[in-house]
Amino acid sequence: MRIAAFLPEILRHLFKKPATVDYPFQKLEVPKDFRGTPFLHPELCIVCRACVRDCPAEAIDILTVNEADKKFKMVIHNDRCIHCAQCVESCPTAPKALEMDHLFEIAAFSRWDLKKEWEYVKAQVKPKAAAGTPSAEAKS
Amino acid sequence: MAILKPLLYIFVYPGVIFLFVYSTFCEWFDRKVYARLQNRMGPTHTGRWGILQPVADFIKLLAKEDIVPERADKTLFTLLPVVGIAAVSTAMMLLPVWHYNVANSSPNSFSGDIIVLLYILTLPTLVFFLAAWSSTSFFSTIGGARVLTMLFGYEVPLFLAVLSPAIMAGSWRLAEIAAFYQHKPLLLLPNIIGFVVSVICLQAKLERTPFDIPHAETEIVGGTFTEYSGKKLALFRLMTDVEMVAGSGLIAAVFLGGFPGGVILGFVNFVVKTLLIIFLLTLIRALTSRIRIDQVISFSWKYLAPLAVLQLLITIVLKGFVR
Amino acid sequence: MKFTVPIGPQHPALKEPISLRMTLEGEVIRDADIRLGYNHRGLEKLAEEKTWLQNIYVTERICGICSHSHATCYTQGVEKLMEIEPPKRGIYLRFLVAELERVHSHLLWLGVAGHEAGFDTFFMYTWRDREVVMDILEMVSGNRVHYAINTLGGVRRDIDDLQKKKILDSLDFLRRRSEFYFKIGANEPSFVARIAGVGRLSKEDALALCAVGPTARASDISQDVRKDDPYGMYAEVPFEVATATSCDVLGRVVVRVKELMQSYNIIEFLLKNLPDGPVAVRAPRRAKPNEVVSRYEAPRGENIHYIKSNGTDKPERLKVRAPTLANYPATVVMLRNGFIADIPLIFAAIDPCICCAERAVVLVDGRSGEEKIVLMSELRKQAHERWKKAPLKKDAVWPF
Repeated sequence: MRIAAFLPEILRHLFKKPATVDYPFQKLEVPKDFRGTPFLHPELCIVCRACVRDCPAEAIDILTVNEADKKFKMVIHNDRCIHCAQCVESCPTAPKALEMDHLFEIAAFSRWDLKKEWEYVKAQVKPKAAAGTPSAEAKS
Repeated sequence: MAILKPLLYIFVYPGVIFLFVYSTFCEWFDRKVYARLQNRMGPTHTGRWGILQPVADFIKLLAKEDIVPERADKTLFTLLPVVGIAAVSTAMMLLPVWHYNVANSSPNSFSGDIIVLLYILTLPTLVFFLAAWSSTSFFSTIGGARVLTMLFGYEVPLFLAVLSPAIMAGSWRLAEIAAFYQHKPLLLLPNIIGFVVSVICLQAKLERTPFDIPHAETEIVGGTFTEYSGKKLALFRLMTDVEMVAGSGLIAAVFLGGFPGGVILGFVNFVVKTLLIIFLLTLIRALTSRIRIDQVISFSWKYLAPLAVLQLLITIVLKGFVR
Repeated sequence: MKFTVPIGPQHPALKEPISLRMTLEGEVIRDADIRLGYNHRGLEKLAEEKTWLQNIYVTERICGICSHSHATCYTQGVEKLMEIEPPKRGIYLRFLVAELERVHSHLLWLGVAGHEAGFDTFFMYTWRDREVVMDILEMVSGNRVHYAINTLGGVRRDIDDLQKKKILDSLDFLRRRSEFYFKIGANEPSFVARIAGVGRLSKEDALALCAVGPTARASDISQDVRKDDPYGMYAEVPFEVATATSCDVLGRVVVRVKELMQSYNIIEFLLKNLPDGPVAVRAPRRAKPNEVVSRYEAPRGENIHYIKSNGTDKPERLKVRAPTLANYPATVVMLRNGFIADIPLIFAAIDPCICCAERAVVLVDGRSGEEKIVLMSELRKQAHERWKKAPLKKDAVWPF
């Protein structure tokens, strides 16, 4: 038992800079592997729908715009996204068509503002890392 | 001129305007130092270094919805914050800041004003209890019971500790006590035990951290203030701040030799000495955790009261030598 | 005078909704009644609708603080069902994150204990230093709270030498700070006065009421799944089970600080002996019909997942027994004959995670207090009737 055991520690910090980061005015760097929000490289997507299948939050939709022209539309509902990056994991193309950026300030006034859309033509590249996965099954 | 001086005394310094400005400043000082001791930033964005934060809080609370519980005693519930703030402001009037004459007594400085001041500083405690009791909520009732229980713990040591320098000075008048110690500053040293005891008791009176039992938020929500909101809560918060200034002013007047040197120098003296005491209060607040109500009582009767009696004995023995 | 005070469902001492009804005599608690069911989220049912892979993320969201515990417990079970063995490096990394999570959880708890006792300075400093662990976890896994590092058959990310060095460097700092907090926690008179002898739970009671985790270990029961039923690589890691004999809140503080030290040692061991190789193996999408019980020592105590598969890519049943649920009966005993001022401390000492433990909702008649079990269709019918009778609330105003 010692009276005022904390005293030296707190007096030491009296004239030190606070540990708090003055957040909106001053920002911390996020690490390089930070899982931010997912985004699509439309030229790489082969529309295998592996991301749609594996997304735990059902946040990704791939809609068919025009079957004949092989035109598709991917919608990522960032309001539902739980930022687990499973879609990136599941993406079978060699440079990943889906990637995570470092954005974490994605608040918006309406959940519709959080919706992101890409309209693109299906890429012709064959999947490389797809051995064994049933990724090619979902072509419809 | 004869009328102007009392008016200035009541409304400007150390009256209403000074009290509001200085008590909010003291709250800011307390919060900022407390935050820095915890390696935090504290108030930052309102005014320079967040200095206007307590004022902003006060104004914000004034603008909030004012709710009176249906089953509460409405008159008492509404009246109490006003009574409380009136009581502590009156206590402030009695401090020997300026506009007094050591030779003659005046309405703001007379023989026995130290007793009156101590008595007036007890009123906020009763106001807290009545406020808690009249709001009829469970948490308030428990808080009110705790307020009174604690009063029996710290009040006696505080009186004993504050009165022993008065015995040494041989006067019951704050101005004379201060003048006595300004004359013989060395005699302040034997009062060190009383100083420590009274600072701890002031902490208990202000219901700050080791003694914030009546409104311990993790136990009984808001305690005394559970049902208070809006303007009334704002007044209560201001009242606690003013009480802090008045209480530390009392301790500074009794233990630190008062505020000599007329208006300007006296003002500087007042600010420096009260801020020193408020810093000590903040340090205690940062250093300790909240104790239980039974521990408060046993602590104050086992340690504080004997120490205060010891201080009284030292004073009496020393007085024999000095005379 | 006896009266009942409701602590919760909304109360500043509780971070999540739970109702504690205290029967008080003055300041002394005579009886306590814990009512759950304010935070039921239907996660077990949701898990039956998701695939094995998606369920990792669902189970991770059972709890915010021990997210990795639930995910790992589930993943372990599913790996057993699928008959796959994760590679050694994957296992090591998985439990590296697990130990880091234990460190962060215990530091968080230390701060909360300080806050509940009104010792806010202690709270601020512990939480400041907890940021170090949070940063490590963010660096290793890409997120501060939901690490999502588990996958079926291993982990999703590897660490490099730079990260390894960073973690080892911060360990020194954390060790020093934890020792300092232990010194403060055991020496500051006002804090010790609040926690010593408070919330007594004798060894017999702890055994009889099936307390788990630090609550049991503070009552001198050497019980730790990592030791008793080693999973992962815990059989090869040297560590001791921290116990205390004082059976009170102080004992729980001591146990947690000792565990912090053990965790630092384990982290150091794991990093120094990190084997080479892949971090994950490929997992099948379906599991054969079977059932499995997976045990895991979460920071709060033993975590149990029961998983049943039916040959499809979705579980037939997932049952979660969170450690907090096992500690509730003991809490009632601890609260009895305590002071009202000790409620937050005693309750916080089991480190309650209320939403983890919410597995069922009981319907109680508000007037008679009668409990009953009602079919969903019946409930819906009642709601319809009520809705028909209810007055229009179109122009509802606040009653002034």
